[in-house]
Amino acid sequence: MGKLQKKILCILLSVTMLVALTACGGGNDNAAGGSTVSNDNNAAAPAEPAAPAETTAANDDSGDAVALEGSVAVFYYTYGDTYISSVRAALDSALDAAGVSYQDYDSNNSQTTQSEQVTTALAQGATVLVVNLVDTGSDDAAKNIISQANGVPVIFFNRSVSEEAVTSSDKCVFVGTDYEMAGHMQGEMIGNYLVENYDTLDLNGDGTISYVMFKGQEGNAEADARTQYGQEDADAILEAAGKPALSFYDSANSNKYLVDQAGAWSSAAATEYMQTLMSQYSEANGNMVELVIANNDEMAIGAITALQNAGYNKEGATVIPVFGVDATDAAKDAISAGSMIGTIKQDADGMANTIATIAQNYMGGKEAFDGVEAENVVGTWRVNIPYATYTGQ
Amino acid sequence: MAEKDKLKKVGDILLNNAMYIIIAIAVVYITIMRPTFLGIPSIVNIISLTAAKLPIALGIGGCIVLTGTDISAGRVVGLTACISASLLTTVFKVFPNMTSAVPLPLVLLLVLAVGALVGFVNGFSVAKFKLHPFIVTLSTQLIVYGVILMYLMRGVNNGQTLSGLADNYRTFVTGTLFSIGGVAVPKYVLYSLILTVVMWIIWNKTTFGKNMFAVGSNEEAANVSGVNVTRTIIMVFMLAGMMYGITGFLDGARIASANANTGLNYECDAIAACVIGGVSFVGGIGRISGIVVGVLLLQIIFTGLNFLAVDANMLYIIKGLIILIACAIDMRKYLVRK
Repeated sequence: MGKLQKKILCILLSVTMLVALTACGGGNDNAAGGSTVSNDNNAAAPAEPAAPAETTAANDDSGDAVALEGSVAVFYYTYGDTYISSVRAALDSALDAAGVSYQDYDSNNSQTTQSEQVTTALAQGATVLVVNLVDTGSDDAAKNIISQANGVPVIFFNRSVSEEAVTSSDKCVFVGTDYEMAGHMQGEMIGNYLVENYDTLDLNGDGTISYVMFKGQEGNAEADARTQYGQEDADAILEAAGKPALSFYDSANSNKYLVDQAGAWSSAAATEYMQTLMSQYSEANGNMVELVIANNDEMAIGAITALQNAGYNKEGATVIPVFGVDATDAAKDAISAGSMIGTIKQDADGMANTIATIAQNYMGGKEAFDGVEAENVVGTWRVNIPYATYTGQ
Repeated sequence: MAEKDKLKKVGDILLNNAMYIIIAIAVVYITIMRPTFLGIPSIVNIISLTAAKLPIALGIGGCIVLTGTDISAGRVVGLTACISASLLTTVFKVFPNMTSAVPLPLVLLLVLAVGALVGFVNGFSVAKFKLHPFIVTLSTQLIVYGVILMYLMRGVNNGQTLSGLADNYRTFVTGTLFSIGGVAVPKYVLYSLILTVVMWIIWNKTTFGKNMFAVGSNEEAANVSGVNVTRTIIMVFMLAGMMYGITGFLDGARIASANANTGLNYECDAIAACVIGGVSFVGGIGRISGIVVGVLLLQIIFTGLNFLAVDANMLYIIKGLIILIACAIDMRKYLVRK
């Protein structure tokens, strides 16, 4: 009897599962194959399983906006990146406001994943691809996506793609920043700050400022540029003002930087490096690090945490100047609290709005750069979103 | 004949204590090159970094004793760090309606519960569905990462790093326990010490601990002799989950910023530390003291290489070699015993 009951139960369960599967399959065509598809613009979908898979925008709230045909597929290199998350939030709301339907993909730091997601999106009938490329080391990944797109417009953004790759198709543009610019601006900001406050910053009074540089990742063009120019440009300004160049705190380190081993530009890596180096270099020993330069704000904040744990960078305590890049909310808070000096602002909103404008231009059959600020446009292939220094003033 | 035996004995002693010998050689070498390595600030630094990484290793150790593993650990640390940082803060971005920080003990209980919940799912799936822990924890690792991403997008946070932590939270974790030679020892060293003692008692003095080793060495035999295998496995994973929860709680304040990358790959170092400390993947073998030594050894090597300004690329190679050698020595002991 027991056996029979079990069998019946098994059959019942299987039938239920089958029914459930078919029911799901009917309504979810547009989510096929994408476990990482996280956002479908059509908010009404779960309530109406019978809704057609090809949804145009749900623009009940954007009354008079003209609904644009087609949909935008947006590929982010990883959802785990703080700055990219702010671009995502801004782009989502820009596209919502414009009444464009879109789908976001998380490529999870893998070019393979991203290329497969592109295939899926194209099969679903995406009419514009917005790609935050994972692999910036070579042109192959970008060219592969362009050739897959086969006439569907591609907007690359944030992570650099070469001119050659972008211009290989007439329906492809790049929205980014002049990636070397951040390093140059950071170096300039540091140089000026040091010249103004030289004597208070030179804690041991030996006439030179010793510094530490936190690099986010090996083999990343932006990290390389920031690491190089953040220090070189500061040196140039110091020398012009008749001061000696910066000296790396540890003369035995020929790299002149400490890099996040996991390549994650993480605050934890910076905290631990900073804590370790302070166990060897301190004011008591007369060789305290007098300046911290970080490739991004995460690492800057990490370094500040270690400094604070050691009694620095708090109210009323000695402040070791810390500089980052990105102007994340955490960094802005730290700057207004006085525990950090400055950062370079990447304009997430500006980038998102530019992308949204170009996407709508493509969908409406207009010129790609119609309505984009002309001074930011480089040639016919690229828009540079300007950086700005941020010191809280 | 007798002399040969003697030689063999000496060789055995050397091999069995290889890890301690390596630590000693490393310390001596680094100290000769950089004398400050044995200064008080440096020792305090190594001890506090070891303490920070100990709880997660103590948790994962139990899973390895069961011949399993747990690769969801790092993400659980990330999630609990984000939960702690979002509740014990001065800027309420994840929960815009909150006006004051949640009491510390409540958050601690919450992260313990979250860790235990993930641990329960892991343990239940391993015990009931007879799945390999690698697959189960791979799944939960992904699920937890998804939850972290969603959690960070909540409220007005938009995936930003959580910071601006409440002062009482940071002092509770990183405040000064006592000062030695003008160098402050942070409070989390004490918490780590307490956890180590608690885990030692659980492993060595409780029925549950004995059951864990029994299940680890031979599941069938344990079952036949009346051990509730399912419950033991679930409890080991839940205990591990709670340890990750505590790690997340401590790390949130230690780093003072939490984001989607927090905790990434923490399990790798923790598993490596356990294996180096003689917790065997063969199952049923391992000691708390071994785990402490493992974590300490890894930390000494890393800090030391940092002092020596060794090229970052070499670090990977050195770490890989250490793990390989440690495992080889461990297996040799096991084969001899057989």
